[in-house]
Amino acid sequence: MRWSDRYRFVPIVGGLVLLQFSLRARLGDDRVAPDFLLLALLIYTIRAQPGRSAGAGFLVGLLRDALTPASFGAGALAHTLVGYLSAWGKAVFFAENVIVNGCLFFAGTWFRNLIVALASGRLKGGQLGWELLVWSPLQSLTTAVAGVIVLLLFGRYLAIRLSDV
Amino acid sequence: MLLSIAAMSLPDRWRDPLAKGLRQTVLAPFLWLQQQTGLLAASLSSYDGVVAQRDSAALAATFVPELRAENTRLRGLLGLGARLGSGYVPAEVLHEALPTNPLTLIVSAGRRQGVKPLAAVVSPEGLVGIVSTVDAQTSVVVTWAHPEFRASAMAADGSVYGIVAPHGTEGPKVWLLELRGIPYRQSVALGTSILTSGLGGVFPRGIPLGSVVDSAAAEEGWERTYLVRPAVHPSAVSHVMILTGGRSGTAGDLRAVFERGEQGP
Repeated sequence: MRWSDRYRFVPIVGGLVLLQFSLRARLGDDRVAPDFLLLALLIYTIRAQPGRSAGAGFLVGLLRDALTPASFGAGALAHTLVGYLSAWGKAVFFAENVIVNGCLFFAGTWFRNLIVALASGRLKGGQLGWELLVWSPLQSLTTAVAGVIVLLLFGRYLAIRLSDV
Repeated sequence: MLLSIAAMSLPDRWRDPLAKGLRQTVLAPFLWLQQQTGLLAASLSSYDGVVAQRDSAALAATFVPELRAENTRLRGLLGLGARLGSGYVPAEVLHEALPTNPLTLIVSAGRRQGVKPLAAVVSPEGLVGIVSTVDAQTSVVVTWAHPEFRASAMAADGSVYGIVAPHGTEGPKVWLLELRGIPYRQSVALGTSILTSGLGGVFPRGIPLGSVVDSAAAEEGWERTYLVRPAVHPSAVSHVMILTGGRSGTAGDLRAVFERGEQGP
């Protein structure tokens, strides 16, 4: 693999980060709008090794925790787990398919929210149920849709094989 | 994973400075971007509201001078009515949204109010026109802008007599009057007020027609022609008085009535 191929995901991830801090607030309810930052992490994990993905997840989570100090550390833990499991699962089980990747984005987002909700200990009872059964699935869905769009637009550029679409 | 757990177990005195440091360094540009995006979105969303408010204010502001002018005009009419005493019918001008509206006007007084054909129609500023057709409740007024309008006129001091007619229907001076038939040996100073002369018996004497602003470019034969700026523009009139005669105290000369009006109350 060429050096340029290794870092070709950087512009895409950078663009998603910018979208997170610019466009996302304009996409309606904060609980439903797609999480571009997590999407950037998941796209990175598609091709990265589990260890690197976990490290990237930890950094992303730590930065997000800085923005939500009430659950400091929970985000880091959740993103670390999601990054690691995503990269590991991609390498072991998942095929290179848009639908599969969409499901990965959906599951990753919902799992991240589950870990944060449980690890932070802030959500309990009905609030936790609403979060996990209503808002998280909705956000996971929008994130998955956004991820599929990104892959359809830039899949070849990212050297992700999508021949099984 | 361990680091994450360690981060979760950090005491507040370490956690808060760490989060603060991240926000002020790594996350600072992103937070700035988010803030600017929010400001931009707020600006865009409030822009329509601001524009709507501005338009409403501008619309209201456009009516203020009009209302003031109308108020002044109505006060003038009241003053004129008081000076006239009797022998007039007040009427409202029913403007139409047509380009020819200034040539003929419909007023809200007719036969039942005592209006008769060829009655002079005036405003506090001066002559508006003449009644041409009278219906039961309304009348048609031919204004001075109508091509067929003519009025016997004189200078305010009575030194010069002539005929006033519309200047024309084309060009930038379309809304001016002409004072025709002035003997070549006589001249009229600029700014001279032109009044109806009362000759011919159609218009009472002394109704202001306008003031001389220039001499006409083409002087024909042995007479001079002057351009007269009308005292009142038909489009700007909302209320008028239709003179019905029978007025006492002025012996058919209205100069004193309008002069007092020009001097103010």
